[in-house]
This record gives sequence, structure tokens and C-alpha cells, in this order.
Amino acid sequence: MATLRSSRVLARGVALPASSYRERGQWRMAFERFLEHRLAVAGIVVLALLALLSAFAPLLSPYNPEKTNLLLIFESPSPSHPMGTDSLGRDLATRILYGGRVSLSVGVLAIAVAITLGTLIGGIAGFYGRWIDAVLMRVVDMMLSFPRLFLLILFGVFFKGMTLGVIVIVLGLLSWMPTSRLVRATFLSLKNRDFVEAARSIGARNRDIIARHILPNSLAPIIVAATLGVAGAIITESTLSFLGLGIQPPTPSWGNMLKDATSEMNQAPWTAIFPGLFIFLAVVSINFIGDGLRDALDPRHVTKRI
Amino acid sequence: MKRFSIVLASVALVVAACTPTPGGTPASGTPAASEGPTRGGTLIFAMWQEPTTLAPPYLNQTIAGLVSQVAVEGLTRTDTDGKYQPLLAKSVPDINNGGVKLSADGKKMDVTYELLSGVTWSDGNPFTSADVKFTWENRMKDPKVVNRAGYDQIESIDTPNDTTAVMHFKSVYAPYPVLFPFLLAKHIAEKEADLSKSDYNQRPLGTGPFKFTEFVAGDHITAERNPNYRDKTKPYLDKIIFKSVPASEVAIAQLKAGEVQAMWNILESQTPDLEKESAIKLVITPSPSVERVELNTAANKDMTDPTSVHPVLGDVAMRKALVWATPKQQLVDKLLFGKAKPGASGYSQGWAKYTGPPQDGYDPKKANDELDKAGWVKGSDGIRSKGGVRASLTITSTTGNKTREQVEQVLSDEYKQIGVELKIQNQPSSVFLSGSWSAGDPRKRGTFDLNMYATSPDIDPHTHIFTRFHSSQIPSAANSGLGNNYTRLRSPDVDKAIDDGGATLDLEKRKAAYNTAVKGINDAYVIIWLYERASIDAFRTNVGGWQGNVWDNITWNSGDWYLKK
Amino acid sequence: MTTYVLRRLIQAVPLLLGITVVSFAILKAIPGGPMAAYEGNPNITDADIRRLEHALGLDQPVHIQYLSWLTAFLTGDWGYSYSSHRAVLTEIMERFPKTVYLMGTVYVVTLLVAIPIGILTAVRQYSWFDHIVTGTTFAFLSTPTFWLGLLLIIVFGLQLRLLPLGGMATLGTDFDILDRVRHLILPVATLSLVGIGRYVRFLRASMLETLTQDYLRTARAKGLGERIVVARHALKNASIPLVTVAALDLPELFVGALVTEQIFGWPGMGRLYWDAATRSDYPVIMGFLAVAASLIILANLAADVFYAYLDPRIRYA
Repeated sequence: MATLRSSRVLARGVALPASSYRERGQWRMAFERFLEHRLAVAGIVVLALLALLSAFAPLLSPYNPEKTNLLLIFESPSPSHPMGTDSLGRDLATRILYGGRVSLSVGVLAIAVAITLGTLIGGIAGFYGRWIDAVLMRVVDMMLSFPRLFLLILFGVFFKGMTLGVIVIVLGLLSWMPTSRLVRATFLSLKNRDFVEAARSIGARNRDIIARHILPNSLAPIIVAATLGVAGAIITESTLSFLGLGIQPPTPSWGNMLKDATSEMNQAPWTAIFPGLFIFLAVVSINFIGDGLRDALDPRHVTKRI
Repeated sequence: MKRFSIVLASVALVVAACTPTPGGTPASGTPAASEGPTRGGTLIFAMWQEPTTLAPPYLNQTIAGLVSQVAVEGLTRTDTDGKYQPLLAKSVPDINNGGVKLSADGKKMDVTYELLSGVTWSDGNPFTSADVKFTWENRMKDPKVVNRAGYDQIESIDTPNDTTAVMHFKSVYAPYPVLFPFLLAKHIAEKEADLSKSDYNQRPLGTGPFKFTEFVAGDHITAERNPNYRDKTKPYLDKIIFKSVPASEVAIAQLKAGEVQAMWNILESQTPDLEKESAIKLVITPSPSVERVELNTAANKDMTDPTSVHPVLGDVAMRKALVWATPKQQLVDKLLFGKAKPGASGYSQGWAKYTGPPQDGYDPKKANDELDKAGWVKGSDGIRSKGGVRASLTITSTTGNKTREQVEQVLSDEYKQIGVELKIQNQPSSVFLSGSWSAGDPRKRGTFDLNMYATSPDIDPHTHIFTRFHSSQIPSAANSGLGNNYTRLRSPDVDKAIDDGGATLDLEKRKAAYNTAVKGINDAYVIIWLYERASIDAFRTNVGGWQGNVWDNITWNSGDWYLKK
Repeated sequence: MTTYVLRRLIQAVPLLLGITVVSFAILKAIPGGPMAAYEGNPNITDADIRRLEHALGLDQPVHIQYLSWLTAFLTGDWGYSYSSHRAVLTEIMERFPKTVYLMGTVYVVTLLVAIPIGILTAVRQYSWFDHIVTGTTFAFLSTPTFWLGLLLIIVFGLQLRLLPLGGMATLGTDFDILDRVRHLILPVATLSLVGIGRYVRFLRASMLETLTQDYLRTARAKGLGERIVVARHALKNASIPLVTVAALDLPELFVGALVTEQIFGWPGMGRLYWDAATRSDYPVIMGFLAVAASLIILANLAADVFYAYLDPRIRYA
């Protein structure tokens, strides 16, 4: 055990020419560790299911998610409408499927934007330090100093109600700061570590040091942060919709469906239960996946069994 | 850790058990006679919007007026039939009882108010005609006053004695009885250099059954019994507390739980739930507010071309079709749970109400035929076009209003059936209803095809109908956005009828004139009167004495409210 | 270190200035305005609207408006709300303590509960305790705050009639500490449950990371008891990421949780901001922002200082 671990450390710290075998081995082992985490695997299954259902929505449902039918409002769940109908007579299950497209993509895309920006900025700040660090961190401070909801509200007004694209960009622009701090912290503490010194001492260039040594070791917190970020973005979208500023009807999103349902809860609880349930399922799955990833990607975790 | 949680939980249970059940503190004393109001008790009234200020000159929100009314009174009020009643005045002056005198040339008038004697403000100081005069002077001087319409028609006010105020108008201003709905206390207000920055905003002085004692922003406003009220038997309640509950779902829960005993402005969609509760009574009062869809007949933004015509809506056949494709009754039944009436005109209540033939009803076949006849041909996507112009329109209304969103979706669907594409483009009310040319209110600028919102005329409809349908009131760059004629209606017949209505004091003649105007508006098919809303409030069954009023807030008779034992 | 702190404080000034300029620009760029509030009033004429705009200084050119706001602000005059006409400072000062009262309780409860649980789950990784905690924390983490709040209100307030449904105290009665506590329970629960979830996950992760470090093996090899190993060595290093998150959350203490305050009718800063934003009440918005931004800047500085204190490898020039 001990020898294996220390040899891994050694291997990571020395700038040997990139050995594809070793790279594959590291990630495959992470993959296997991930599979040990039952909840995370369950999370992947559930999330994949949700994603597939949403993607194939038109094939799965004969109904149009936006077609109103005033004669059928508030029908409770039945064979023809497995989740019942909403306040305008639309089939709830269909809306859930189409809504999944919106809610899930908002989450993923917004965080993609945030992570890219955050890693870039945090990495540069952490690695180069000194005045670059100072300037970038002031930018981070400035962005962080705006209460997020404040800007989201104002953008909502400015863009006259937010479309998917706008929400993704705005959320991404407002969510990269924690990632950048994380990455910066990791870079800051890693760049002075022995293995980096070792790499430098044999003449490795900055670019290589970052790409081959620092970045892979900071990937773990980034990936975990990204996964949790997606969960957070989905919740933020639903909160925005609750305030009336998110995706505008008639386009369904789980968030705006939940908002409409809160005042109908006593009459038609299914209109509230299902969107809430799906948000919950998606977010819980993503959180489990993130947890699994965290355990899988940091080899030091698993070996701890004292 | 677990220990901590257990302790926390048990503390919670103990605490919960130790507190008396919430509920309006019942009246003490007299065992209940089943009839007759009992004296005493505190009533908690939930409001989902809260007043920012209560001072009369700055009142703008409905809720601010509603709350103010329990303490601050005016010269007259309007009863549910739309008739003026005296409040602090002995009688309502008009041309028949000599209270209103026209000048020799008929162009000016004097209105004399005889005030009740022996009335005092809640701090004990006497209420006199000087207060009336001061109220008017303040209106004209204070730059932050909300509106001056009507007050600017008064040249001067004489106060020959403490109970008489003579107002000299420089024109014949027909709506004079609605002026002075709230009076200022001169002896307090005159001491302030800037009234808007004083405590008067939160606790204005009044002559009404209650007086304000506490204003905790964001939380509650307390009004206690006025010991100096002129009717010594009233008010029955000791206190009314207006509680701020921003989430209406929570307010309803509080109403059901008995934490609050009354609630303002219930949505139609919340009524089915409340109707099932035996302990709650809904007060449904028809209101003059009409939700409407306005059709923009001009194309030009900013109205730089006074003759501009909308490419799609300029065609009256298209407008007719849209009216005929609107399922008003269905909207009322399904979205408003029957708690409204399909719109017949914009002036549905009061002495000036429209009694002519109502607007056309739902007939989609007729709509389709009309469009076919007019040369609008359906394309492969089902949308019509004529002369290269596609029948694609947008509808704009306020965000965050569920009923409106639902209506828009239904309309979008219905119009698709007749081959018209309707896209929804809502904006927050701070933009869409800003009423400001410079701030870019789309209605002013003309940057809309269809818009939807609600507005209600005053008991005297003149200002309303004039600014909204007279051709001189089309906002444009040339007149810096003056006027509210958003449909850009240009009809000489309607203009004449409106002018006639404002030119005389004879109520019968005015009513006829306004009726003619509304018929003209309906025949021009520039506006779809969607539905006439009801105002819905709720009381728990242990509250008595309240009464709905079409023209006034539910608190108009707060002095009569009581809590049953 | 002191020079570093001083330098950061000096840098904060242009930062704040920049923030106010950007905020003001955004506010003015947005169509709409405070005059929207007057639209529903059938008696208002355009002359009235123009007069009001002039009275509030809204017809001036934008940069003049900003400069007059700035000069007044720096001399302590934070302006007057467009809707209530009260001094912005008064409005803020009225809500401030109520928010701190609520959020402070949440903060303390969250940390008090999360830290021990987090440590325990890391130390007893994969035990049944760990699994139960994992399950519940994830459940709460995955629920939107407003949803949780509404559910709690309906279950505990309406169905079970155990707790009051919002507000700070029962109206119409005198001050009663037990009553206040009862009103605190649901909003604090709503916010803490979600927060505890976050902190537990975080602490667990960073504890797990440190617990495997070599220097701990050394400590154990030296014969130190597990508890000391955990408390003195592991915890100190594991708390670095925790400190970041905790410090970044500090401004919420003052800025308030907007949605929760809406649902529970709590008269705090979050509500103030929402009302101001929807009414385009620029002076209040700007004042609120100035407060929030300053607090966030200070909190970030505090976090960085703590970093250096806790992790001697990090040095600031």
C-alpha cells in the first residue's frame, strides 16, 4: 500500500515524458473508484434518464406542450394524462418533458460558461501572482460585490424577460467567481510544491508545468465544483422563475411551472408535486454524482480507512 | 449532535405548546347577544402589497388609500351606487340646492361647502375650513404632489367662517365632488418645511374612526380607536393592524389558520380554494376596472407621421376578426372562475355607465369569413397574409401576472385558429406601465401591436375617456408624449361626443354623450374589452359590519366593523 | 501582513467607486423608471408626471444625476426614497437589525450544527451515520429555498398548527421572547437546513483530504490520541476552504435572503431591495448596493487574511 502510493506521488512529481499508459491508468482507476460509489452511479442513471426523456420529448408525447384547452383544466392524473393537466388544460407530463430540456440545459450551459471563465481567470491569477493576481482578484471582488439577484433582476428587465440564451450567459457571468477563487487557491498552493520545483529544475516551461502538473491536480476540485454548480444553476433558475424573472411562459421550465403551481396547491397538488419532484431528482442526482466524482478523483480519499 | 437536535426539537414543542392559539383577540365583556355589534378587539388585516406613504398629497397606490381611509377623511365619498354622499361636509353642493353657482357668462362656477361643526382631529384640535383651504394650497405648492387635476381649476378659496369654504373655480369643472377625498391637518402640516420628509407620511392626522399609532416599514401599520371621533359609539374595534404579507399563498394560509381575519385583493384563481372554507366569507364587489386589449392602429413609432396606419391592424376587417376570435365568456369561466363579467364597454358602473349594445361576442367562424373576404389569404403555415404583409402580431403586458399570461396564451391559440400569429412579449410593470415618454413606455411610444392591462375610470369618467380616446391625446414626439390615446383612435364623431360630455353639468346630457362616445369606440373596433373585474376581499366569519363598495375601498366603513364573540 | 491589509483597503476605494458607477449606469440604461408607480392613477396627467420627474431630479443629464448622488452620498446624505420619501439611510437602518437578527441566527445555527456533523462524517466515513447524514443533507441541498419554506409553512403552520406562519412576532401583543423564538423557527429552519447541507458536504470533503496527509501519520505514529490529531492538525488545515465559504457567506448576514424574507414576511434588507428594484427606487437601490458592496469587500479581505493565518505556505507580498 505505502509503496504504491508513494510511487504514484513520485511519478506525478517528476517531469517524465508523457506516458500514455500512465495517464490512462490514472483516470481508469478513478473511474473504477467512481463505480464503487453506489449513490453516484444511481445519480448518473437517473440523470441520464431525465436527459434522455427530455431530449426525446416530441417522440414520447402526442401532446403539444403549449396548446391550451380551457375545457380540461385541472384534470387529476389519469391514463390519458398521467400527470394530470395544468391551469390551462395542458398535459403536465408533456410540459415536464419539454421543461426538462430548458431546465437541464440552463444548468449545464451556464456552468460551462462559468467554469471556463473561472478556471482561466483563477489559473492566471494563481500562477503568475503579484500584480496580475492583484488586478484579477479586484475584478473578482467587484463582480462578487454585486448581489447576484440584483443583477439578475436588472438584466431581466433590460432584456424584457429572459430567454434561455440570456439566462445562460448572465448566470455564467455571475457564477465564475467561486471557481476562480478555488482554482487560484489550488494554483497558489501547488505552484510552490516540490514536484513543481522539480519540474522547473529540469527546465520544463510554464506552459507544460501548468498543463501537465498543476491543472490535472486542480481538476478534481474544478470538476466537483462544476457538478455542484450545475445543481445550483438549476435551483437558481427555479428561484428566478418564482420571482417572475426567469424563462417566460408559455415555454415550460420546471421553475416556472413550480411558480404557477404554488398558488394552486390546494386545488391541484399534482401541478406542484411533479415539477418540484423533477427538480429535486435532477439536483439530487447531480449532487450525488459530484460527491462520487470527488471521492473518485482524489486518490487519497479512498485509501483512508483508519 | 443528535443530542443537540433532540434538545432543539423539544424546545420547539414546548414553545409551541405554551402559546395561546392565534386568532383575533375576541371582544371582552358583554356576553354575545346574537345581534348587534360587540365593542372591542383587534382585527388583523393582511395586505400583500404595502403602502410606501400615507400622506394625502402623495397617495398613489390603491393599498395606501385603503389604509389611509380608516383615519383620514374628506369632504365627500361615493356610495356603492355611485352617488356622492357627504362625509365632513353637511351636504353635497350641486346646482339644485344652491351649493353650486354659475357665473353670469356660465364659464366659471363657485362651489360652497358647509362643513360639519364640532368635529375635531384625533389630537383634539378643531377641524375647520382653514384645513380645507390649506389642503388646496399645499396641492398647488408642493412639487411632489401626485396630481393636480381639478385643483388647478380652483382660483381661490374663501373661508368666511370656520364651517364654510367657498371655492372659486375658473372653469366649469364637472367632477368637482371627487376633489378633496383626504384632508390635511393644517396645524401640523404647516409646521413642516418639507411635508414629504416628515412623520406625517407614516402617521397622518385624521378625523376618522381610527388614528395611526405605529408604522413599521415592511411589517405592519397599527391604527387604534380615535377617542375624539365624532360618533361616540364607534368604532367598535379597538385596533386594526394592517399586516404586510408579500407572498399571497402565505397570506391565504394565515387567513385559513386565523392568524389574520381579513385579506385584501384576492385573486380569482384563489377563490375556489377559499370558497371551501366554512370559516371564511368572500366579499365580491363589481368594480369599474376593466381589463382590455388595445389595438394599435398606427404603425409609426413616436407618431412622427400623424396619418400613419398599421400594416396589419389598420385594416378594420382584421380588427373585427380579432374581436370575434376572443372567447370572453370562456376566459371568465375558466380563468377567472366566474368571478368577473365579460367586457361590454370600459365604463360599466356608475351614473355614466354605458347602456348601449355590448361589444360583439365570440364567433370564430365569422372572423374567418371576414378575413377571407378582406383578402387575407392563409399561407402554408396557417398564417394569413395580404399584399405581402404577414398577419404576425405581438402582445405586450406585464410580467409576473399569471392571469394575464394565461389569457395571452389562450388568445395566442385562438388567433392561430383564424390564421393570425400572436407572439407574447411581456415587460415588468415598471417599464410597461411607467406612463413616461422618456422612460420608453411602449404604449406611449407606440412600439406595440396589442397591449393588455386594466384601468378604471373614476366615478366621473371624463378625464379617463378624454385622455384615452380623444384624437388630441395621441402621444407623439411633437407633443412630448402627452395623452393616453394608445389605440391612436382618430374619430371625429367620438371626439365630438366626448367634448359634449365635458361641456355641461347636466348629468343626463353627459351620460348620453358618453354613451355615444363608447358606441363610437366599439364600432371602430380599436379595443377589446376583455372582462370587468370584481374586487374580491375576504373576511373570517367572526368579523361583521363590513360592506362592499363598487367605488371605494373595503375600509370605507371601517368604523362599523366588529368582531363577533 | 499589515501593509497587505492596508493596500487592500486603499484599493477598495476605487473599487467601490467603480461599482457605484456601473450600478448607476445599469439603472439608467434600463427602460422604465419610478414613474411607473403612477400609471394606474386615472387622475394623473402628463404634466403631473413631468413635474414629478423634475422634483426628483430625473430630467437632468445622467452624469449630473450621478455626481449629485455621489457628492451627497459622501457627505452622509444618502438621498430620499422615491416611493416613501423617507431618508434612504433611515430605511436601511430600520431593516438592518432585523436582517442581522434573522441571518445571524441562521449563521450561528448552521455552523454549530454543520461543523460537528461534518467532522464526524469524515472521521466515520462510510458508517451508517455517514450515510444517513449524506442522504438528508443531499435532500435539503437539492430543494429550492422558496419551495422548502412554503412546504414548512403549510405543514407546520397550516396543517399541524404548531408554528406561526410568518412575521417576526404576533401582532397586537406585547414583546414576548417565547413568541419571538416561535416566529424564528421556520425561517431559520428553511435557511439553515440548506446551509447545513452545504457546509457538511464541504467540511467532510476537506476533512477527508487532510485526514490522509502524511503529517497526520507522523502525529499518530508519535502516539497522539486520535482526537488531538483530528482537532489540532486535521481541522486547522481542513478549515481553510471552509473559511472561504463561510467568509463569502458573511455579507448575506446583512444583505438578507430575499426570497425567504418574501415568503415569511420578514421586514428585512432583502425585502427592501426587492421593493426598491421593482419600483425603480434608485436612491434606495444605490444605498443598498453601497452597503452590500462594502461588506462583501471587507468579507473577502477577511477571508484572505484568514487564509494566510491558517496556511503558512501562502504568503502575500
